[in-house]
Amino acid sequence: MSEAGVESCFPQIAANPYPWPFDGRWSVGTTAYLLFGFQTEAIATLDAAEAAAVAGRILAAVRSARIRVIFSRRTLGAGANPMASRHGGENVPPNSGIADALAPRRGEPIVDHAGDNAFLRTDLAAQLRVAGIRNLLIAGLPTDGLMHASMRAANDHGFECLAIADACAGTQIGFHEAQLRITAFGNGLFGAVADSAAVLAALKAPPSSKG
Amino acid sequence: MQIDFCAPGGWVDQLGEDVSNTRSVIEPIRAILNVARDAGLTVFHTREGHRPDLSDLPANKQWRTRAHGLGIGDRGATGRILVRGEPGWQIVPELAPIAGELVIDKPGKSSFHATDLEDQLRSRGLTHLVITGVTSDCCVQSTMRDAFECGFECLLLEDCTAAVETRNHVATLDILKAFGGRWGSVATSESLLRALGADSLV
Repeated sequence: MSEAGVESCFPQIAANPYPWPFDGRWSVGTTAYLLFGFQTEAIATLDAAEAAAVAGRILAAVRSARIRVIFSRRTLGAGANPMASRHGGENVPPNSGIADALAPRRGEPIVDHAGDNAFLRTDLAAQLRVAGIRNLLIAGLPTDGLMHASMRAANDHGFECLAIADACAGTQIGFHEAQLRITAFGNGLFGAVADSAAVLAALKAPPSSKG
Repeated sequence: MQIDFCAPGGWVDQLGEDVSNTRSVIEPIRAILNVARDAGLTVFHTREGHRPDLSDLPANKQWRTRAHGLGIGDRGATGRILVRGEPGWQIVPELAPIAGELVIDKPGKSSFHATDLEDQLRSRGLTHLVITGVTSDCCVQSTMRDAFECGFECLLLEDCTAAVETRNHVATLDILKAFGGRWGSVATSESLLRALGADSLV
């Protein structure tokens, strides 16, 4: 926050289908970085070390900018909906921990969820609302599962979402690309899509006051 | 299956987009609807739409649709776009709800978001859902994913769903069919009709 109480905004991020966010206003106070499902077994199953590394680079930049960070993790605990695993056709195994390289720090919440949608029967939306968050930078695995189920829900909740394409990986490259194409269809059915380079460039640019 | 998405003169048509894909599933859905009614299945219709004061319309959703020149809440040839009660927001006449059928009004893509659909299903003891409608890549995919996670056993009829862009429709079906039907199964109308013993009716 500036001394006048007006937040300094980062420049808009070059994204598809429009420069993100739609209203040009994203700042430390209104933005959160969500890391969906970066669990060790998911990274191994999806061969997603590269996406995890990219998510880590964004994490470092976001932390130094003091932007809020929230992790989500798929767990099938005792309270989990037994139906959520009934088909057995798992795309990634649940229950492993978040990868060490992306380990949450103190003050960075972890949201546990039984299925793909990190907003379903969790307090994620409530946490974001209480913190005054409107804009979400999104990384996650897999693009065609947990990540997109959660991004769809975030969008229904009214959050302005940006999928960071190279910080996500699908169960197949074609599924990854299709979900991102559907995201941007119709001038952004579910938000916008950008590469990490564009996000990092905007984070490093000097913020400007947009009172 | 609303006029704004699937009918000549509706919103998508006014934007100059091709409604032939979304329109093409009206007749297949009507065939299923008739059999479902005869079999006594509970029928739910959903309508995407917003309150007339737009108090439930996220600013980004309105902005994105206005980029097309005619956005949600704006007045078009079929009334205010995707606003509850307007002509274009109505379900196409071929599939209009009849007495006793439930209609879920939803402000989002998922039919479970900010609605009582889950309660309505549970209170009737319903556990299995046959899903039809548009668009496959958007509202249908969001709804089927949430239905699965709420514990419902889903069957999507692939000849009864469509998207504006065919490649996004095909990709959505490929994704939903992967992993042995992780979110449910995908079938054709014909197999459902056969299972209901109604394949001779169409």
